[in-house]
Amino acid sequence: MPSLKDIKTQINSVGSTKKITSAMKMVAASKLRRSQEKAEAARPYSSRLEEMLSSLATSASSGEGIIKLLTGTGEDQNYIVVPVSADRGLCGGFNSSINRETFKLVKKLESENKKVQLLPIGKKSRDFFLRTLKENITDSFVDTNVSSAGYNIALEISAKLQSLYFEGKFDKCILVYNKFKSAISQEVTQQQLIPLDISKNNKEDKSNETENSDKAIYTYEPDEETILQDLLPKNVSIQIFKVLLESDAGEQGARMAAMDNATRNAGEMIDSLTLKYNRTRQAFITKELIEIISGAESI
Amino acid sequence: MAKISFDLVSPENLIFNDEVGMIIVPGKDGDIGVLPGHSKLISSLRSGRVMIYGENKDLLKSFFVSGGFAEVNPEKCIVLGETVEEMNSLDKNLIEKEIQELQNKDTDESKKQILIANAKIEALNASFYEKI
Repeated sequence: MPSLKDIKTQINSVGSTKKITSAMKMVAASKLRRSQEKAEAARPYSSRLEEMLSSLATSASSGEGIIKLLTGTGEDQNYIVVPVSADRGLCGGFNSSINRETFKLVKKLESENKKVQLLPIGKKSRDFFLRTLKENITDSFVDTNVSSAGYNIALEISAKLQSLYFEGKFDKCILVYNKFKSAISQEVTQQQLIPLDISKNNKEDKSNETENSDKAIYTYEPDEETILQDLLPKNVSIQIFKVLLESDAGEQGARMAAMDNATRNAGEMIDSLTLKYNRTRQAFITKELIEIISGAESI
Repeated sequence: MAKISFDLVSPENLIFNDEVGMIIVPGKDGDIGVLPGHSKLISSLRSGRVMIYGENKDLLKSFFVSGGFAEVNPEKCIVLGETVEEMNSLDKNLIEKEIQELQNKDTDESKKQILIANAKIEALNASFYEKI
């Protein structure tokens, strides 16, 4: 039987863990609010860019000389997969679900005889793939810290991806990230970044057409092709930026939920330990009493 | 006089959103003045000033954008700027210092930034369209 002192130390240590987890929960909650605001602030830009792109893409897909980011290289052999994880742990299944999904995707593509490269974003996925699929990693980005670095980090990643693309290193780029659904739930999502997913845009086009059926033709300055050449790379950066922000908000949400659970568990543990402590103390008292009484009786 | 609704958006947030009298945007091939009822237009932008006027052609605000896009239709004008700064917040001395620092580096990135910084200086010196 553990001594009273042992139980007391245990209670104290669980208590200080509880303090840490509840503090982390609070921090995550306030960070979540900030990340959510950031994600919302970035939404007008990306939605307007998409609108512009969809009106351009339809007119351009019939034309000639469309650049490769929209149409693809015409091949389907080399893939690059970009898992977006957090830099820090203690956020429940957030990172491991990304890693698991990416791992499955890589294995699936490899079984179809495709060549797969990895470009992990975030320490947790980088470390995971350094252990498991080291030879596939081309490059990695860590300490992205999108909430303070802002748009620049997205620019950096997109510049890297595009330079790889135009060197012919890959034909398709797939992002794996946690989509922010609500503060407590994230959804692992795969998104094809390059070439641009036209099917998605077509859907948007249809909804646009119902809204304003009198779609007049735009004048383009300088001309469609030049604009498209500017717009497509920007779209890549914006998509990455959006994904980073969503993932950041998701991370904070996941951490908040995980820490909330941990705090509650610690509370339960303290309760049961306190009960055990009291019982043990009572048992000691009873034992001592019995000893005294039986000692007195024997005299 | 009629008004046109104008949005100025940077990747990080929505900077300006209001009904205005006129906007001048720095199109790639030259400045474009947008009045209410402008025909539909999509243009890419060069680095330069976006100027916003009220109904009586009084200058309300001016911003510096380093490239981007503008979409115009008769009721609305949207400018998507790569980076957006308010003209009043630009400090000529700071930018000149920045240029000197950038000139010491010799990368593609720094060359791009020098171009942008030069455009900022140019925008600060320019006095066109201040009164219409």
